Amino acid sequence: MSRSIPGWPEEAREAAILKKKSFLVLSGPNLNLLGTRKTSIHGEDSLEDIHKGLQLRAEELNVQVDCRQFNSEGDIIDSLQEAPGRFNGLIINAGALAHYSYALRSAIEATLLPCVEVSISNVHAQEEFRHTSVIAPACSGVIVGFGKKSYLLALEGLVDLSGA
Amino acid sequence: MARHIAVIHGPNLNMLGKREVGIYGGKSMDDINSDIAAEARKLGVTVEFYQNNGEGELVSFIQQCRGRVNGIVLNAGAYTHYSVALRDAISAAQVPTVEAHISNVYKREKFRHTSVIAPVCIGQICGFGAYSYILGLRALLDEPLDPWLA
Repeated sequence: MSRSIPGWPEEAREAAILKKKSFLVLSGPNLNLLGTRKTSIHGEDSLEDIHKGLQLRAEELNVQVDCRQFNSEGDIIDSLQEAPGRFNGLIINAGALAHYSYALRSAIEATLLPCVEVSISNVHAQEEFRHTSVIAPACSGVIVGFGKKSYLLALEGLVDLSGA
Repeated sequence: MARHIAVIHGPNLNMLGKREVGIYGGKSMDDINSDIAAEARKLGVTVEFYQNNGEGELVSFIQQCRGRVNGIVLNAGAYTHYSVALRDAISAAQVPTVEAHISNVYKREKFRHTSVIAPVCIGQICGFGAYSYILGLRALLDEPLDPWLA
């Protein structure tokens, strides 16, 4: 069934209808090493495996994900600044930056997008300095401790939050 | 293997939908439990629900979960932030436990930023409203959430 929208070319109408919600997934420093270091804490899966899993889950949920990893704080901030208007929400595993990067917190706040903070390990069972996240107050929700599944749960939670 | 999950609500969660709805949402605890039960049916697991305002009652209930349930989703309410007795009960029960909160506790008062039970839980989920419980339930299960196992 085809309803025409006055003034819109047919292709634009199709694109608007087909437009899926899109989420940006950012991973911070050292997460490119997943699967190769401290596997008892962080698991055996590589970040690439996690990204593949997110793509599969996104298809099931009828949304899109764009997954990126940066070791540099500045690169993450650049990505966050470009996110408004392109993405409907954010998932961020900031790695160690979670515990001290106020610049990241400000960048998340500035996006005005719903954001879920993710951690693979249960940070609360690790060293004291990992118990504090300075970015958590800028996020809608927090999910920690479920291994690679933390990312998948975050995607589900974000889809629910954004009504996709 | 049949899987059975206990969903435990701590103090004041019986007041859901009646107090501070701006923070906790308009759903009652019974509404939330119905949603969790529906999700559990979809996932092919059974759930039981328990709520108590008393710390001792929660400790006793968690102790009794040992060897009887496969996982716990626990919203310990304010006890989260100071009940070492609850923490010891979780450790003693040896049941994988997910800490869940309706609100993002990190956006709130400083005293809510610390969870004394988090170190003995497998993980923590907060900020998704009533959906935090659903995510907690899913976190305890491998299927069908985990595409690697599908």
